[in-house]
Amino acid sequence: MSSDANTSHDLVGMLGKLIRRPEFSTLIGTVVVYVFFAYLGGKIFLGAPGWSAFLTMAAEVGIIALPVGLLMIAGELDISVGAVVPAAALTTALVSGHYDLPTWYGVFAGLAVGVMVGFINGQLVTRTSIPSLIITIGTMFGAMGLTLGFTVMIAGSTGVFMTPDPSAKALLGSSINFMFRATIFWWIGFAAIIYYFLHISPWGNWVFALGGDRESARNAGIPVSRVTVGLYMLSGFAAAFVGVSQVLTFGSAQVAAGQAFIFNSIMCVVIGGVLLTGGSGSVIGIVLGTLTFAIVNQGIFFSGIDPNYGSIIIGALLLIAVMSNDTFRALALSYATKKKEG
Amino acid sequence: MRDAFANFLRLPGAGAALSLIGILAFFVIFGSVDLVQLMGAASWVNFAANLGIVAIPVGLLMIAGELDISIGAMIPAGSMTVAIVSGHYELPIIFGMIAALGLGVIVGTINGLLTIRTTVPSLIITLGTLVAMQGIVLTASKVLTGAASVAVTAPEWAKVIFGSLLGASHQVIIVWWVIIAVIFWFVVHKQRFGNWLFAMGGDRDSARNAGIPVDRMTITLFILSATAATFVGMCQAILFNSAQVSGGMGIIFNVIVSVVVGGTLLTGGFGSVIGIFIGTLTFAIVNQGIYFTQIDRNWSNLIIGATLLIAVGMNESFRSLAMSMVARPKKPA
Amino acid sequence: MKFGKILATTAALALTATGVLAESHSGADIFVIGGKPDDPFWSIVKRGAEDAALVVEAQGGSVTWLGPQNYDNLGVDAAELIRQAIDQGADGVVGPNWVPEAMDPAFQAVVDAGIPLVIYNAGGIEAADRLGALNYVGAVDYLAGVAGGEWLGNNGATNGLCVNSLPGAANIEDYCNGFAEGLENTGNSASTMPLPATAQGNVTAVAQAVRAHLLQNPEIDAVFATANLDAVGIVQGIQQAGKAGQVQVCGINFDEAILSQISAGAQSCAVDQQGYQQGFYAVSILNGHINYGLSIPTREILTGPGIVDAANIAATLSGASEGTR
Repeated sequence: MSSDANTSHDLVGMLGKLIRRPEFSTLIGTVVVYVFFAYLGGKIFLGAPGWSAFLTMAAEVGIIALPVGLLMIAGELDISVGAVVPAAALTTALVSGHYDLPTWYGVFAGLAVGVMVGFINGQLVTRTSIPSLIITIGTMFGAMGLTLGFTVMIAGSTGVFMTPDPSAKALLGSSINFMFRATIFWWIGFAAIIYYFLHISPWGNWVFALGGDRESARNAGIPVSRVTVGLYMLSGFAAAFVGVSQVLTFGSAQVAAGQAFIFNSIMCVVIGGVLLTGGSGSVIGIVLGTLTFAIVNQGIFFSGIDPNYGSIIIGALLLIAVMSNDTFRALALSYATKKKEG
Repeated sequence: MRDAFANFLRLPGAGAALSLIGILAFFVIFGSVDLVQLMGAASWVNFAANLGIVAIPVGLLMIAGELDISIGAMIPAGSMTVAIVSGHYELPIIFGMIAALGLGVIVGTINGLLTIRTTVPSLIITLGTLVAMQGIVLTASKVLTGAASVAVTAPEWAKVIFGSLLGASHQVIIVWWVIIAVIFWFVVHKQRFGNWLFAMGGDRDSARNAGIPVDRMTITLFILSATAATFVGMCQAILFNSAQVSGGMGIIFNVIVSVVVGGTLLTGGFGSVIGIFIGTLTFAIVNQGIYFTQIDRNWSNLIIGATLLIAVGMNESFRSLAMSMVARPKKPA
Repeated sequence: MKFGKILATTAALALTATGVLAESHSGADIFVIGGKPDDPFWSIVKRGAEDAALVVEAQGGSVTWLGPQNYDNLGVDAAELIRQAIDQGADGVVGPNWVPEAMDPAFQAVVDAGIPLVIYNAGGIEAADRLGALNYVGAVDYLAGVAGGEWLGNNGATNGLCVNSLPGAANIEDYCNGFAEGLENTGNSASTMPLPATAQGNVTAVAQAVRAHLLQNPEIDAVFATANLDAVGIVQGIQQAGKAGQVQVCGINFDEAILSQISAGAQSCAVDQQGYQQGFYAVSILNGHINYGLSIPTREILTGPGIVDAANIAATLSGASEGTR
């Protein structure tokens, strides 16, 4: 047997393995939409303005999509993120703007609100047999109501204004060259940490086990309740982080904000190949799914297409992305390498 | 008496009925609501009817193990279709109505086909059709009429049947809601269709192996929910003489809450039409009843969220209670 | 048996309770139909109505605010609320005529029931006359847009963009259509950019969309905001597009954040509809009429549109922080 034949076989084998990874189909989706909008958007989209546009948008929904994805792998949903974003933003604005305390107090308070909502979600999900979709819809309404009620009670209006301290603004609210928001780097860092947690550390297996079969996981000795509560606290934290970074960047927080994040984060996660039924998914897939979503959303505005048609295109592209993911995955799973010659 | 109580609790609608009484008590005690005035008011009944017609087929889909969130965009799609066809283009109202209902059939078929042909969950598929329909409604309205709000005046006969007021402010769609609820109740609880439905929700593959036409039923259910939504939109356009572009996000949560408060299990296989009916009434009272109280509107979402959690919590505890309550064996003579 | 008794007793208690709690009073029960509770502009209108309510309540009456949960179905929801006010025994109704086709029949029912009516915020004096209302109080949304467009047109803008983050809602559509007319009146051109539902409630999405659109359409030199948070996002978007100082920003309504943008020169103007006055005067006029038969002979009390720009900003700052401007 010549070594050349072996090497080429190995290469094909490696390529086959690569194609069979679920993230590959997501990557194809990302590349396809990028090429589509690059063709329509031309130089501006290909250059720094294009990249920073969708990266900035991807960063925000991406930070939330990561723990939402983890929860979905563990077999749960979190709808309340949409209400935590403005709740945290307003908490920070009220503490540091209305009450004029140092910015870092406000940041801490905002993040604490997110963690608290996550804790409540986790407790309710683990202690009752009510499905997480319903629980988090309930906490979403509750958080919305509390946010509006307290904001109007304390500040007298539905929005609060604040000027962040320079240090806080530099860390969470600034941009390089006015283009690349700091949130992008936070997103990358967050993704790296979650990647380590899910794919390298031993706790990642617990998350997959939970999504596979909760009872078996419990019987295997996994602290199911603690993991679930922890994941919800993480998603609450992430949503709060986005809210806090928005108020530090823009200096203003409104009660009526954040609804879009609920379905947007679910879309990113699903395009990224996470199964709704739980037990399967990857951080790289979620990141790629987020990029695809952001490219589709922002690419419209660079393409010169009448914005009225924008929504249709977004919906159609998302359906295509999810569908092609599904088809490609089925194809890849059924692909078998040719038997090696004896 | 204990047996009767246990039987009552075992009904999917039991939790909803008790939540209904509970929320009324709450409003009366803490909101100083005039109960007689509340009962006589039409606003929450109208709200319940518009919501209820959509909630029943969506609830049946949930029993069968699927979800349809595209209804959020289908209601404005229905009203906009009527308005554009019969208002802007001034074709006879019957064309507008057929177009609206036809749109529901088409989108329902798409939802159903995509669900059975791919392994993508129905939540995601209908999320995609939701976003796409939001865009189609906006585009159609802007491109064809140049505005986001279109007027339509329906002739007398259409108004009487679909869009008139009985008494001072009760909408005629309430009658439609009751009729539709009775038809569905009959089909689900007295016909084979219902058995098939519960079987599908229990275990889809077993149902298929047992010879149940699972695929056809799935498509039928999706068509029913999408068409119910366009029907509601159509009635609104006829009654209120106008249609508006909208995202419809609020409607989705309202429908899910009504269905779940009504005792339908999110995981499928359990629920009832009466339960959904009562759940819709309960949600309507929660949502609209706050206007009758002295409680500041700003807290309304908090009350809705708390009610949802308490009502569903009660449903769950009753279900486990009812399952554990075993009838005492009769003493032999 | 026991359960049945408990049920009956509870029901009896509840009914007695309502009987006991129902009081009789001599003042006016006024119902105000307005926007949704988390709308920055409408919370100011509500504040005005609540301040007028202090007088109404002192005279034994009440003011109840009825607003829809969202703007998904504005005309329908508002018409239902108007009818609900009648059902709840209103002595007087204040309402905006956002969608005449949908809401006129409901307003008609109010007048037919002999309940005094004041139209405010939308519809103009034509609506008040057509419906038989006492008066019209307020700025008209469409004219607010026109004022903004004309101010920009007279201050150097040649091609304006209206950002609509809530396509479909009648009031927002009026702002953008009015804006286009205002610019065209001064001999310039305008366009509207609707945002998809995936951008709703996300100020970052607004900023990025504006930035992309400006880069793709460099002839635009003015942007008009139709919501408070949008104005903040638009300023950032312009900055990020590297066009700070070249593109003017104006918007509907303002709050502390927007006023600080005007002070800093990042925003040129804001259209003031004095929402507080709309709520305050509409309720006060009705109260005076119901209790004492008073009326204001001047038909059409306009509260705007006024323009807040760098020239007159100082006076508005304190009001904004109190939630009254």
